[in-house]
Amino acid sequence: MVVRVRVRNAETGATVDMELEMENTVEEIIEGVSAYWEKDPGAYVIRKGRRLLRGQQKVQELDVQANEELELIPDPEGGNR
Amino acid sequence: MAEMIRPGDRDEDRHDRTRLIPWVDMERVRSANVLVVGAGALGNEAVKDLALFGFRNVHILDMDSVVRSNLSRCVLFREGDQSSGKGKASLVAERARELDPEIHIKATEGKVQSLGPEEMERYDIILGCLDNVAARLHLNANSYHARVPYVDGGTAGFRGRVQAVVPPLTPCLQCGMNRSHFKVMERRFSCTGQDTVYYQPKMAAEITTTSVIAAVQVREAVKVLSGRTAIAHVMHYDGLAGTSEVFAMDIDPGCPNHPSSKLS
Repeated sequence: MVVRVRVRNAETGATVDMELEMENTVEEIIEGVSAYWEKDPGAYVIRKGRRLLRGQQKVQELDVQANEELELIPDPEGGNR
Repeated sequence: MAEMIRPGDRDEDRHDRTRLIPWVDMERVRSANVLVVGAGALGNEAVKDLALFGFRNVHILDMDSVVRSNLSRCVLFREGDQSSGKGKASLVAERARELDPEIHIKATEGKVQSLGPEEMERYDIILGCLDNVAARLHLNANSYHARVPYVDGGTAGFRGRVQAVVPPLTPCLQCGMNRSHFKVMERRFSCTGQDTVYYQPKMAAEITTTSVIAAVQVREAVKVLSGRTAIAHVMHYDGLAGTSEVFAMDIDPGCPNHPSSKLS
């Protein structure tokens, strides 16, 4: 079974549709869209509504609906230089 | 005999206006032992805010010295500090005493890795003002095990984040990390075969986002110490859009900092 979701790039507003298997993980979503958008190396998280998803969560655990939008957000790690 | 007051008395109290905020526990703020790890951009702003707010017992830790490019976002550094021979932590402590001579601030030049859970137990709250994943993981794990609240801040250009970790109730920093964070960490350790070299990339940073994020960190510290609920659980700030949002997180059952969660 597959589910299609839309992922938004928080930095540019761009979106891409992604077909996911139930076994896919949030980390795989991050890596997939990061490669698609050729994102700079860095830490990213995915949000679903007002919740951040854990990297190892599988799609089957996310209660994600068809065409639901997720968002890729940079996770800033600077601050001491 | 009735108490004698004079016009203007209240203006003589440095913290009079803060005391007008009913929920702020100024006695707790004054007595709390605060550890600030990192005396760079966020650390400067955080210590400035701590001193002005009325914190009296602060310990600041950093291993670095000032370079001139720090001066664009470090309110407590001055032209010439880069050649003073003093470390960032000592300079921050010195300037904090100028802001409030009554502050007891101790500076230590060293790495966060020198602090274990026993040292962390001495503090009532810890502020992470760091710039790398490895140091954050160390501080997060040890403060969580010591059951000391930890408020982490991070910036990248006009974006920032603040996470309030209140053990054992909330998810910790590591719960929110994924492979992308660990890849960032790996890239900073370059193995030559004979040696491991740590390198620090230059990251986009500016003062307006730094100010916002450090201010939120200090406000969260005041909230936790005053018995209010901290943000649940992480605030992401987008300075270009002018927005901030708080996102909930879950405790990761695989996170080593939450052994009890594996039982449920």
